[in-house]
Amino acid sequence: MERDELLRVLREFESEGLEYVLIGATAMGFQGLIRATEDVDLLMKATPENVRRLRRAFRASYGEDPTIDEIREADLLGDYPVVRYYPPSGDLFFDIMTRLGEVASFDTVEAEVKEVEGIRVKVATPAALYRLKKDTMRPLDRQDAAALRERFNLKDD
Amino acid sequence: MPVLKFHSIEEMNAAPLYAVPGNAFDRFVRHCSRYRSIAPRHYPRGVFKFRTILEAQRARASWGDRLLNLEIS
Repeated sequence: MERDELLRVLREFESEGLEYVLIGATAMGFQGLIRATEDVDLLMKATPENVRRLRRAFRASYGEDPTIDEIREADLLGDYPVVRYYPPSGDLFFDIMTRLGEVASFDTVEAEVKEVEGIRVKVATPAALYRLKKDTMRPLDRQDAAALRERFNLKDD
Repeated sequence: MPVLKFHSIEEMNAAPLYAVPGNAFDRFVRHCSRYRSIAPRHYPRGVFKFRTILEAQRARASWGDRLLNLEIS
């Protein structure tokens, strides 16, 4: 993961006023629990204006990549609540989510603001990350949940 | 505390994680960069849409397998 690339995108998110919260391994990294990942998981507020903010932030970060126009309100607010964007350059990609099944939404995930190089980044709390991961099927998520529980001394609800 | 010694693997696994002081974000990014340099992947570029997280995870795993097969063959 390129440091400058990630910071550039996060700066644009803030500049556009994107309403989002980082979840997944990138959020764990911000919380000090570090494992390698290739993607940035983003849970965002499901409104048309917020999707427009996301497109503007990506355009500012990745130039005029025409595929950015394929990130559409109708999809993210409709039948495709998960959109993956692989930018034309760089070595990271984005999983953009507006719903996590019945488990959580932007409004229900507990988050806190972390600051890096003057950029304010909204990150899910360790407890929220644990709740998102602990009951999923993927073995990697279960490993993450166990690490979160141990590191932050978390208890089941 | 750079060196820790254990009598067994069990003792090592039970020991609390040693947190390196410093910026977590920078450590995270460095760690990901090392991973990428050891196991580089080249995914298809663009926008892909999924109905569920599970569907997205499966697509990614399938691309990963395909790339791995290409690297092996």
